[in-house]
This record gives sequence, C-alpha cells and structure tokens, in this order.
Amino acid sequence: MGHILGVDIGGTFTHFSLIDGKGEISLWKQATTPKDPAIAVKAGLTALAEAEGVSIDDFLKDLDLFVHGQTIATNTVIQRNGPKTALLCTEGFRDVLYFRDGFKPDRYNINLPRSKDFIRRDSRLPIKERMDYRGKALVKLDEKSVRDAAKILKKQKVESVAVALLWSIMNPKHERQVKKILAKELPGVPVVLSSDVLPMIREWERTSSTVLSAYILPKISTYMLELENYLEKNGFAQNLLIMQLNGGTATVKQLLDRPIYALASGPAAGPAAGLYCADRVGVKDVITIDMGGTSFDVCMVTDGQPDLTKDLRVHDNPVGVAAVNVHSIGAGGGSIAWIDKGGALQVGPMSAGAEPGPACYEMGGENPTVTDANVVLGYINPDYFLGGRREINPKASFRAIEKKIAKPLGLTTEKAADGIYQIVNTNMVDAIRVVSVEKGIDPRGYSLVVGGGAGAIHAGALGRELGIKQAIIPQYTGVFCSYGMIASDVRTDLIKAFATNTSDFEVKRVNEIFAEMEAEAVAELRSQGFARSKIEISRYADAKYSNQIHELTVPIPSKGKLKKSDSGSIAEEFHSLHERLFTYAVRESAVDLFHWRITARGKLAEREAVVHKRSRRPVSDAKKGTRMVYFNEYGKYRRTNIYDGDLIRYGMTVEGPAIVEQANSTFVIPPKQTLKANKYGDFVIGIS
Amino acid sequence: MMSIKNAIKQKSSKKPRKIQKSNKKSVAKKSSKSIDPITFAVILNRFKTIADEMTITMEKTAWTSIIALARDYSVAIYDYKARQVCMQDALPIHTNSMHVVLKEISETFKDNIYEGDVIVTNDPYSGNTHVGDFVTATPVFHKGKHMFWSVAKGHQLDVGAYVPNSVAIQASDVWQEGLQLPPIKFYEKGERCEDVVRMYLANVRWQEWLYGDLMAQLGSIWTGERRLKELSKEYGNAELEKYMESILDYADRRMSEEVKSYPDGDYHGVSWLDSDGKGKSNIKIGAKVSVRGDKIHVDFSNSDPQNASGNNGSRGVMQAAAGIPILCTIDSTIPHNDGVLRHITADAPVGSVCNAKYPASTAAATVGPGDTMQEAVWKALAHAVPDRVMGGNGKDGNLPMLHGVDRRGKKDIDFGMMLFNAAAAGGASATCDGWPYFMTSAGMGGLKIMSVELCELFYPFRIDRQEIAADSVGHGKYIGGPGIDFCLSPVGGGFQCELFGEGQSNPPFSVMGGMPGIGGGSYKENLRTKKRKYYSSKGRFELAANEIWVGVSSGGGGYGDPLEREPDAVLESIIDGMLTVESARNIYGVIISKNPMTVNLKETKALRKKKRKTRKPREITSPNIPGAATWVKENLRAGDEYLLDAH
Repeated sequence: MGHILGVDIGGTFTHFSLIDGKGEISLWKQATTPKDPAIAVKAGLTALAEAEGVSIDDFLKDLDLFVHGQTIATNTVIQRNGPKTALLCTEGFRDVLYFRDGFKPDRYNINLPRSKDFIRRDSRLPIKERMDYRGKALVKLDEKSVRDAAKILKKQKVESVAVALLWSIMNPKHERQVKKILAKELPGVPVVLSSDVLPMIREWERTSSTVLSAYILPKISTYMLELENYLEKNGFAQNLLIMQLNGGTATVKQLLDRPIYALASGPAAGPAAGLYCADRVGVKDVITIDMGGTSFDVCMVTDGQPDLTKDLRVHDNPVGVAAVNVHSIGAGGGSIAWIDKGGALQVGPMSAGAEPGPACYEMGGENPTVTDANVVLGYINPDYFLGGRREINPKASFRAIEKKIAKPLGLTTEKAADGIYQIVNTNMVDAIRVVSVEKGIDPRGYSLVVGGGAGAIHAGALGRELGIKQAIIPQYTGVFCSYGMIASDVRTDLIKAFATNTSDFEVKRVNEIFAEMEAEAVAELRSQGFARSKIEISRYADAKYSNQIHELTVPIPSKGKLKKSDSGSIAEEFHSLHERLFTYAVRESAVDLFHWRITARGKLAEREAVVHKRSRRPVSDAKKGTRMVYFNEYGKYRRTNIYDGDLIRYGMTVEGPAIVEQANSTFVIPPKQTLKANKYGDFVIGIS
Repeated sequence: MMSIKNAIKQKSSKKPRKIQKSNKKSVAKKSSKSIDPITFAVILNRFKTIADEMTITMEKTAWTSIIALARDYSVAIYDYKARQVCMQDALPIHTNSMHVVLKEISETFKDNIYEGDVIVTNDPYSGNTHVGDFVTATPVFHKGKHMFWSVAKGHQLDVGAYVPNSVAIQASDVWQEGLQLPPIKFYEKGERCEDVVRMYLANVRWQEWLYGDLMAQLGSIWTGERRLKELSKEYGNAELEKYMESILDYADRRMSEEVKSYPDGDYHGVSWLDSDGKGKSNIKIGAKVSVRGDKIHVDFSNSDPQNASGNNGSRGVMQAAAGIPILCTIDSTIPHNDGVLRHITADAPVGSVCNAKYPASTAAATVGPGDTMQEAVWKALAHAVPDRVMGGNGKDGNLPMLHGVDRRGKKDIDFGMMLFNAAAAGGASATCDGWPYFMTSAGMGGLKIMSVELCELFYPFRIDRQEIAADSVGHGKYIGGPGIDFCLSPVGGGFQCELFGEGQSNPPFSVMGGMPGIGGGSYKENLRTKKRKYYSSKGRFELAANEIWVGVSSGGGGYGDPLEREPDAVLESIIDGMLTVESARNIYGVIISKNPMTVNLKETKALRKKKRKTRKPREITSPNIPGAATWVKENLRAGDEYLLDAH
C-alpha cells in the first residue's frame, strides 16, 4: 500500500496528514499563503517529500490518495471577490434574489442594513418564457429575449452566468435551450442551470444556490485544474479528490459540474475525523468540537452518520443542498472578554485574531481573551506555548483581565479569569445544545471528540456541563480536519422532484426516478475505479403531512425496487421522526412525498491502524513537574501535576486535576476526571 | 450573525444619542453576593435557547402557510405571575401584550390550574389581541410548584366568521367576527377535553388544516414545558426564581437608562385609518407620549370614537402598539422581558377606535388599528428623539385573503389562503434604507412571503409578476424599502378576494424632511374588455377566470432630506430598480449621464443649490393631513371604476 495524504487549508496554517503504508502518521503545518493558497500546498508537499527522503516525483507517485480541503470557494463568497456574474430569470421575477423570503431578522433593530446581493439588478435579466406547475410551457421560450440579454451581458463583461427559471424542476427544457444559445452568444463563459444544481421546489433557494455556484465556479475551476495539472506533471497518478460540504469527497470534474458542493470544504471533514478515532473504540454517537483561534465548530454524528442541514447560508443566501451541519460560533482562544452596558460579562464573538492577538502576545492587544484567561488560570504554560515556539508574557494577561474585567465587576483576577473560562464554556455548551436539541437529541449519550489547538483545554469542562461521559482527544487533534479528509468516502448526492403520497403511492414512477439517479451515480463512481461492491447507495424522501409546508427528510428502503406496500413503513418512519423532534405526530394523516434523494458512496479501502503495546511503566515517567493551577471546583489555585503528553503510553492513567502538555495542544484534566491513552495512541478523558 | 449585530450596535452608538455613560450598576454589584454573574449569564441564555426551540417546532410543523411561511405567530415564556421572562423571535404586537391575556387566564382559573393543562383563548375582551389570534398556554410545574407559562399565539386561517376571513373587517360585532373562546381548557391534567376540541373544530372552516396548526402550537408549548422543567430541575425552584428575578431587574435597569436618555416632555402625533371598512373615510388616531424620568405613558384619548366595523383596536393591541416603537428606539440587545415592559403604560378611552367597547368587533385590531396607533406614536417620538426613529412602515394593503374552490385536480377542494407576496415595505431609519415586505408594523419585518412555486402548487392561481415597483419608496436621505408590482391570474376558475388593508389613502409617513411612500392600491382587470375596477384598501370581490388582479404596494417612508442623499447612493438605487432617472433629477437633484450611467457632479451641485433655495421648508413628519396619497388618482383611466370599501 502507498501513502495517503490529507491537506486542509486553514486561516493560519495549511495542515497536512500523511499516513504511510504501515499506518504511521506524519503531521505537518505550513503557514497559509492567502493570495495563492497553492504556494503553501506545494511547499508543504516539498517539505513532506524531503522528510521522507524522496524526490517530489517519487513522493507523489507513491500516493494512493490525495484529498484536499480548499478555501477558495468559501473565501470567494465571504470576501465577495468573485467574477462579474449575471442571472437570467423568468420575466416578471427579476427580484427573486433581492426579495429573499421577505424576512428581516432582529426586528427591533431599525438600523440593520440588508446584506448586499451577489448580483445587482442590472445583471439580473428577464427571459420571456413560462412553465406552469406541471412543467407545461405556458409561454414558449423567446430565443430573441435570450440573445438580447446576452448582448447586454457581453457589454457588462460578464464572466459567469446563472440561469434559474420558474418550474425548471418540472421541465428543464427552457433552461437547457438558454444554455445552448448562450454557448453561441457568450463563448467561453460558464453557464450554470438551476435544474442541474438544485432541482428542488422553492425558487429563491434554487436561484440562490445557482447564483453562488456561478459565482465561485471560475475561481475554483482555475485553482483546481492548476493543482491537478501540477500534481499530474509531478508524477501523481490518481484522481485529486476535493472535500465537499456534504462530508464526502469528489473528483475535480464532479465538483466543476456542481460547484456549490465546494463551499465549506474544510470543516465538513470534522465528522469523519471524529468518527475515525471513535469508531475503532466502538463509539458511533459523537459530537465533534474543533476550537481554534477565532471559532468553535460543532457537528453531531449519530450512529455513524453526520447530521446534515439544508439551511446553510452565505450572507443570507441559502446554499440549498444538504451540507454537514457545522454549527460555528465566535468562541476561540482569541475571543475577547468584555462587559456589556448592563454589567454582564460576555465573551466573543469578537476575536483578537492572530493580530494583535491576546494581550499576552504583547502585539498591541489590550483586550483580555480566552487565551489570557487560560494563562492566568495556569492551564497554559507560558514557557511552552505552541511547544515553546511563541513567547508570551503572562503578566500582560493578568493586567488585561484585572483592568477590564476584575475591577469593574469587583472580582479578584483569578475569579474574573475563571468567569471568562466559564462563560466561553457556556457559549460552547449552548452551541452544542443548538445542534443536538434542535434535532431532539439528548447529548448525554454521546462522546465528545476534540480537535483544534484549544479544544482540549475546555473539553473536560464542556463534557461535565453536558453530562457527557467521555471526551476523546485523537493524536491528530491539532490537524483534525485534514485527517478527517483521508477518512472520508467519495460521495455523490442527487435529487429529483416528483409529488405523490403514502395513501396513493405511485411506486412505478418513484422506482424509475431512483433507477435513473442510481445509474448516474454508479457510472460516475465506477469510472473512478470503484467496484460495484464498494459502492453504497442510500435513498431518502422529503416527507410532510398533506398541507403541512415544511418537509423532513426520511430514510427509505434502499435495497432493490420499492413495493407499493413500502408506503406504510415510509409513513411510520416520518411519524416517529416527527414525534421525536416535535413532541407529537398526527398518525391519522396521509404523508406527502415530494423530493427523492440518493446518496452514493464509494467506500475507500480500510487501512490498518498502528496498535501500541500496553506499557507497564508508571505514569510518573511522563510527569514533568508541578505548577499552581486554578480550578473552579476548589475556588483557588492549587499545586497541580504537569505531564508530557508525548510520554503518556497505552496503559497509563493520569488522575485529575492535572495538565498534559504537547507541542501543539494542552489538555486540562479537571478534578475527579481521568485521562488514559488507548492502544491507538489517542487519549480519552473519563468524565465523572 | 452575531458579529453583524455587534457591528450594527457599534455603528448605531456613534449616532449622537443622549445616553448617559454612567451605567455603573453592574449585575454583580447591584445584586450583591447572592447573584453569581456566571450563573446569571447561563440562565439568561438558556431561556433564549428554549424560546428558539419552541419557535422552530411551531414553524416547521404548522399546516397553513400563514404560520409556516408567513410566521404569523409568537412564542414566549412567562413566569407564574404572568410576567414576561423571555421573548425571542416573535411578533411584537403579540408579545408586547401577551401578559395581559395571561393575567386574564390566571384570574379565570385561579387555583384550578394543573400540570398538563392547556388553556386556550382568542377573546379580545379577555386581553387577547384579536379574534384571529389563538392563544395556547400550558403551566409548567416542578416539584408541585407552578413556575412558568409556556405560551404560543398563532394567527388562525379561519375563526368561523360570517365570511371566510379571520380578519373580517366589515363585521358588525363580536358575533359576526367569529367564534369567541374565552379562556377554556383544551387539556386538563394531561387529558384532552375531546368534546371541547370537537366543538371548536366544528365551528371553523378548513378543519383539517386548523387541527394541524393546533397541534403545531401544542408541540411548541410542550417543547417549552419539557425544557423549562429540565431547567427547574437543574437549578432548583428557589435558585431559578432568584435568577429569573435578577434577569428582569437587569432589563429593568438597562431600560431605565434608555428612557432617561429621552428628554422629559409631552409629544404629539396624529395618524389616520383609511376607512372603517364600510364607507367612512379617514378615522383619526392621536397619541400623546409623555416622558417623565424613566417612565413613558402613551395616551390615545385624542382619537375618534369606535367604528361600527371590525376596524377597531383592542386593549391588548393598544398596549402593544404603544410600546413597540419605543422598544425600537432602545438598544436592541436589551432582553425584552417584563423589566422593560413595566416602564411603558398606555391608555385609551373605552369606546374609542383604539380600545373598543364590548360587543364591538376588533377583527382587524392587530393590523390597521394597531399599525396606525404605532404610527401616531412614531410621529410623536420624532419630536422627542429624532435620530432614533424610522419612517412609516407599509400597512397590510394588498394582502388579500383568497378563498373558493380549487378545481384543478381530480376532486374539487375548498381552499383558503392569505397572500403576503404583494405587501408593502418598511421605512428608512437614520442610518439605513428600509427593507421590502414589512407587510405590517405588527410584525416589523418578521413575516415571510411564500415561494411562488409553492403558491402555484398548492393554490389555484398563477403569479404573473412579482417585482420591485420603481419610485414607490418614500424618498429621503435614506429611502424606504420598495413596494411590490404584483399580478395574479386564477387557474381553473375564479375565486373570492377579501382585502382588509390599510395605509393606501393614508401612506407611510416620512420623518426629518423625507417623503411619504406612495400608498399604492390595486385593481382587477377584465382581460377581454381591459376595463379596470380599482379598490380601496378594503373590499370584497370575485376574481373571475378571465380577470387578473394587479397590486402596487407602498414603499416605506423616507428619512431625512432627499437632497442630502449621497449622489452615488442615488445612482445605486437606480441600478437596483428603486428609483428612476426622472426622480433622481426631480426629487434628489441628481443628474445622471447615460452610457455608462454616472453622476454628473457639477450639474448635480448646481441643481441641488437651486432646489434648496426655492422649495418649501421640510417638515419633521409628513403627511400631517388625512387622505394624502395620490396613487389611485394618478392611475385611474377614463372608464375605470373606483370602489370604496366594496362589499
């Protein structure tokens, strides 16, 4: 077996996870190069090859798998630096994008401005055509109106075009005709159709998804094709795989057909990263948390399946497709502590970022941050911050907390620091509750899997607050998502619309729809070299009570053809999900079914993990010394044991209170909790 | 999301607001040793999370578009004394008055309130807003003690009125406007009172759908109950009550500072209803806002007597309408609970249009009367805190109830729906342009439109046009949100339309030298004869198979002098379809050169200078006369008809 490699571009660092044929892991961090992220990727590859003692060609030749989490798509939409993009829409509906769903959030705030739309009205042009709700053309496509629009777009030097016509989900004919005409009128300009991107009812969501796709397509296309080309030229013989927002990977070609899946590429690997270490100890229900410098990302994984959402938005614009439900809040090491006008202590969402950074960096930051609180509390060793690579001044942390928090609140500095620690924990606990509680899930049956530089400082406290019994800290905790990428399957999601219901289940047409979608997905995966036996297909339907408006997606039997009698089990699946989520079901009602979905996964070959032998040495071998550490349970500082994480072996147990230090991360073991290393080299905090 | 909010907060605090900096009463200090600031923050956030979860349940599971899409509902948490503890994502007109109805519920049942009860009411004379709003409340007990009320209020598609409309504006009295439910139990000690629920459903149209909405509402309050019990268990009753009290005090203190920043004095504002719904035009509503220290009293005595229709305010609506504009002028991060509400009192003579006398109908209370009361309060506030107010919001004009028979399928189906997609926009503020689709100040932008495709799938009509109506906005330094140019055709046969709106002949007002919105209106056109019938904001009519209904709704009121709008912002608004090159020249004094469109700065400067010299002085609010809108007059062609309050 050759090597496999995951590369995740983060805000500060580009993370590399490499596993060799024997299962040994090498991790690498390269400073991210925001202007051209490929520079850091190439530099990291060169460094890894050097470390292996081989040429870049040999290194790449020996790679079985290269999975990449890119930030081009996300940064393009966040920074709004995409190309000039236009939208062609049905005449009479030029403002779908502007109107959105008519909702104004935060309604008592009369000073709230609207976020800007991705396409201004002068580039949203009407096409004369109209389909009805059955897909019948009420007004035939007026080709001249398309050519007229094309002329205007040419003048505007438009570089990418979205086409979203009403009811194209029932009949994509007009959209396809428009594409054909544009190919002639605007040669070389990519055209994205709503019936390809998101064939779902609701024109705003579909239009938005199509516009975002058109907006990111040119940039991701340039970046991915160039990277692919570079790799190919240097000996890489496999498909470059890109992490998608649905938690699976896809080839560059697949992604360029459905660009929307390139958004939120990195964090979507969180569940796979969490499952990888949890699965091998028999745990299937996990909550992954990833706490970096500015944000805290949470995902739920239930019975091995990551929680997906259809409500993901970019600046109020829906993405529309199912995405890994990464709930992100502004809580990280750099989050600033402050006192609001009413005198309540708050932490975040503002962050001191990397610059000026926490007060202890002494780079001009005067605001106390979570990192400063962790320094004051004794959790972070000032002489071993980032493994000693960064100098920090603990006095600056004390000063900032004393001046800005302790004095105004009439607290001691350590009580104020503990307050910051507690509040940021509360915020993170709330974030975890949002993703669990919203789904009607009690988090207490779950294990935490901890990622990010700061995650393990807080994990024990979060677990206790939530009533969770164990927190797993994988050995790759510092490069969490890049590792998750190489543990992710290749994945294709497809959707089709067709209305029927469980009392009069039109099974024949439903089977045809599944057959079409499954044939498409299987052909794609087979062309990538997956044997049919390695392709797994799951089916879903969007269901609701007749006249209910919003749907729930329910799993339906995925083997063979559906039978008319399957409608009963589909209905019951819906009733029980509804009851679990919302406290009640209306079992006497028929269930409407509208969208049909499949998820096709190409399963990767399983790789053996390295298993360590149980050590008979005492844990005192790993002890580095002691220092004064504050714990809320004692209400004061207390002399506490400090351990070197790299010396803790399988078989050793660290009793809390204790601190464990590694080069890239620090673990806080609160009183009455224990930390054990397992045979795979991961750590587990047992929470009382 | 959070960071945007904070950015806004910082931005708005740069305005020259007269807020004292002397806020030294911190949570920790004021509440001495017993209140731990950390626990305080945890519990404060937990209430919000619970209210959010209740909201999700309501919206995701409702059976009618009025709740699931238009979101015409509210959830909130009250303590056992009926004091508001937490309100999150809800409609102001509901939540600012729900304590009134809860007090009635408590008084009605006194000691007969048990765990597992669900008490409902829609009675406007029991403190409810209007008959269409259906309140469901369940008491939350822990260890045998009544701790909270988990409450949801949802606007029902039907209430069994004499017409299929839960806002039967032409109703003569309470018996015509619909089934009256004083506080009664739907569940007692966890058991459904089947006979009572059956009686309720027998008296409403579209029973199956309304049953679905009832279940959504129950699911919402049961979700709240579940979580509030967990919270009580976690902290214990006494401890939780202590913190709840401190949360109310915290909001109270912050509100106190805010109100003290208002200059003491009496401020006056007047506004008008378009009509009573039965042919009588321009009904006056006057507000006197009195600020004294940290208290504000709103007095509506300068208002006309009640109407002989459903276009009257109720006590609950009067209370809420007085408070909403004030809450919009304070820091939006202050939690809206009883600590805030206790600073605002309101009064209106019983028997006036603001506070009708039994058995007068208040069918439309939350919208027309409520919105117009809010408008009068806003206009008064413009004199007190001019940099904190906003231009007028569109009211519920062009927001019809449609009903009839859907003949498109194998079986004919009775249908009914309230259509929000043609509705009016919101006003501008001192820092930004208005939003489209405010629909009514009752919701302050919290209502949603329906997807065109979902409409066409569910209901027998087609939407032919739904776009920005150019120059419908109230002009100003900041412009109101745009109105909607809308056209609808029946599919498979005609049906009935009920307009019950306001704000068309009396358009959304402007502030600080801005201009009002257009007011707008609607008509139906016969496709063969091309003849049009224009309707006032209210009217009942049949839309036949060969007819279309066209509406142009009002933009929101403008803020500030149009001559002060940045010329570039004027150009942007032209590109965005809000303004035209003509209005740029005539109203904003901005000259646009074409190909490509750019601002001609030199000519603009000259034109603006000339306009400043020759025009009339700007007013603080406008219009200050009834019936000021001109849209219908401008659009009526020879041979077209205009019908006032058709029925």
